[in-house]
Amino acid sequence: MLENFSFRTIVEYLPLFGQGLVTTVWLSALSFVGALIVGIVLCAMNLQRGWLFRAPAKAYIDAVRATPLLAQLYFLYFGLPRLGFVLPELVVGIIALSLNSGAYIAEIIRAGILSIPRGQVEASVASGMTYVQRMRLVVLPQAFKVTIPPLLGQAIVLVKDSALLSLISVAELTRAGQLLASDRFMPAEGFLTIAAFYLLLYYCIKGLAVLSSRWLGTAGARA
Amino acid sequence: MIWHQFLSLAGSYPLALRGLGMTVVLSLISLVLGTLLGFGLGILRTGGNRLISIIIGAWVDLIRGTPFLVQIFLIFFILPEFGIELDAFTAGIRSVPTGQVEAALASGLSRWQRMRQVVLPQAMRIVLPPLVGQYVLLIKDSSVVSAIGLTDLTRVGWLVVQRVPNGLLVFFLVGVGYFIVCYPLIMLARRLERRIGAAHGEVQL
Amino acid sequence: MTKTGMIDFRGVNKWFGALNVLKDITLSVEPREVVVVCGPSGSGKSTLIRCVNGLETIKDGNLIVDGQRVGDPATNMTSLRTEIGFVFQSFNLYPHKTALENVTLAPIHVRKIPRAEAEKAGRELLAKVGLADKVNAYPAQLSGGQQQRVAIARCLGMRPKIMLFDEPTSALDPEMISEVLDVMVAVAEEGMTMMVVTHEMGFARKVAQRVVFMDAGAIVESGTPDEFFSHPRTDRSRAFLSKILRH
Repeated sequence: MLENFSFRTIVEYLPLFGQGLVTTVWLSALSFVGALIVGIVLCAMNLQRGWLFRAPAKAYIDAVRATPLLAQLYFLYFGLPRLGFVLPELVVGIIALSLNSGAYIAEIIRAGILSIPRGQVEASVASGMTYVQRMRLVVLPQAFKVTIPPLLGQAIVLVKDSALLSLISVAELTRAGQLLASDRFMPAEGFLTIAAFYLLLYYCIKGLAVLSSRWLGTAGARA
Repeated sequence: MIWHQFLSLAGSYPLALRGLGMTVVLSLISLVLGTLLGFGLGILRTGGNRLISIIIGAWVDLIRGTPFLVQIFLIFFILPEFGIELDAFTAGIRSVPTGQVEAALASGLSRWQRMRQVVLPQAMRIVLPPLVGQYVLLIKDSSVVSAIGLTDLTRVGWLVVQRVPNGLLVFFLVGVGYFIVCYPLIMLARRLERRIGAAHGEVQL
Repeated sequence: MTKTGMIDFRGVNKWFGALNVLKDITLSVEPREVVVVCGPSGSGKSTLIRCVNGLETIKDGNLIVDGQRVGDPATNMTSLRTEIGFVFQSFNLYPHKTALENVTLAPIHVRKIPRAEAEKAGRELLAKVGLADKVNAYPAQLSGGQQQRVAIARCLGMRPKIMLFDEPTSALDPEMISEVLDVMVAVAEEGMTMMVVTHEMGFARKVAQRVVFMDAGAIVESGTPDEFFSHPRTDRSRAFLSKILRH
């Protein structure tokens, strides 16, 4: 039983948890930015007419969706050095998370763009806008609103996925829990504490989602 | 060099098959248990008792808000403290279904409940595509059990790469293994979704 | 050199797959002329005017608009389109922009008119279509008739040489039709070159110089509104008129 559950040890290890939490937050944020870039590029490729760009983008997205992140992480972790890239674990982790989430974000953005009615595009074509102007002034501002909620959902997934980086020894939140578990043989203290921290992050992003939906719901069109 | 590695890899195919078998068996058992549990929770949650639905809602949040790796560590390391001894395999099964399946079902079924006039087959058609999607997630999530020492496909890759130092090749093959299992399910989910879209008269994109 | 109209169809054909949706169309619209195009649904009338600004591409024949050949690689369609206003059946206002922003968006970004100047012109145009008090309203806050009037103002904001209307009143509730038609009459009376797909005979009689009747992708009959409505020459146009008159 947990009768000797030691809050003292948790307090003692709090600086370590704090560092882990901070690392998880910033590496997730950085990966999310990376994933947005990957996603936008993939989505742009996927929306082209010719198969030359579309086929590789589709293949990439399918490959990522049909394989586990952990296998992708190991693929990069054990594979990159063979290609001559010897990178710190943290960097490998951020690359893996960006490449993985990017595939999902590409689909989110695509769904957002395709949700814009055809008539909107025709109206902007008829008024003499170029492709770039159409995208910038008409399509993307509307698609933006549709994509915010699923993007925040993806952000939650990304934060949770970042726990896997502990398996390649990145010193993030889960790693902090593992250290407490193995140093002091206190797995309950270690893993329950980090679970609480992850829940905190989860509710933060969820709160953001609620705020954003309220903000998006009132601003502009209410169609 | 490459040829040598290929031979060495070919030599470890029984291990790879065992890993794939473990992944499939673990996923299948988890899938069945998870679906049953999910239906149970979903029906309880929409049953009208506020207290129960709040508790289940909190439970679902707890599951959705924490990484699967952390959940599996909690089960593997903490249950023994309550006198429940689990081998890694049982721990794997216990934790995989508590992953996401019931969350999907809970939300799917509450939607069903809101539309009381809708009959069961129609509800199943709403639930089915996200459910199949969750099965794909479940199979992929099962890779995390390698962290508690189960020799599933991912762990096989991890073991082999210690011997054959070609991570690109080894984990490419691991990826192919998962792809073979998951991709048909992804296609199935897409087809189901399209059929529902057509039934609802939505525009196909 | 032969005299060309503002819009000149010469032997234009278009197919959707095996379906010949425009059959050998020859039609010339003079500057300041108002031409009403009517016909049963599926007759190709919408396709016809959508070809004028290149929303549809033509298979063969020549289509010359404002002296430029549509579909010719040498023609800059983007700049040609700035000379052609297009009013859609379903309005297609930008839902994330106010009425004024809808009117000023293209003038500012395509015509490169300074914002202050564009906004001043935009307010005047909205006043002209009777919506001075709706300048800051979003499309979702406007009725169908009001949205369509904003859409017309949006086209006028580009100071086009030609205005095309694709069934502008058929998505409207009956009580809103006249407010839109009144605006269209005012635009016509200022001397705009217009092609209007509509079944509104009152509008046709009032401002159109010519009515073109289409059926099954071909122009079947063409004449002044009086000739067409009072003495239709073909069985098909008589059948069509008896149907719309019954309403």
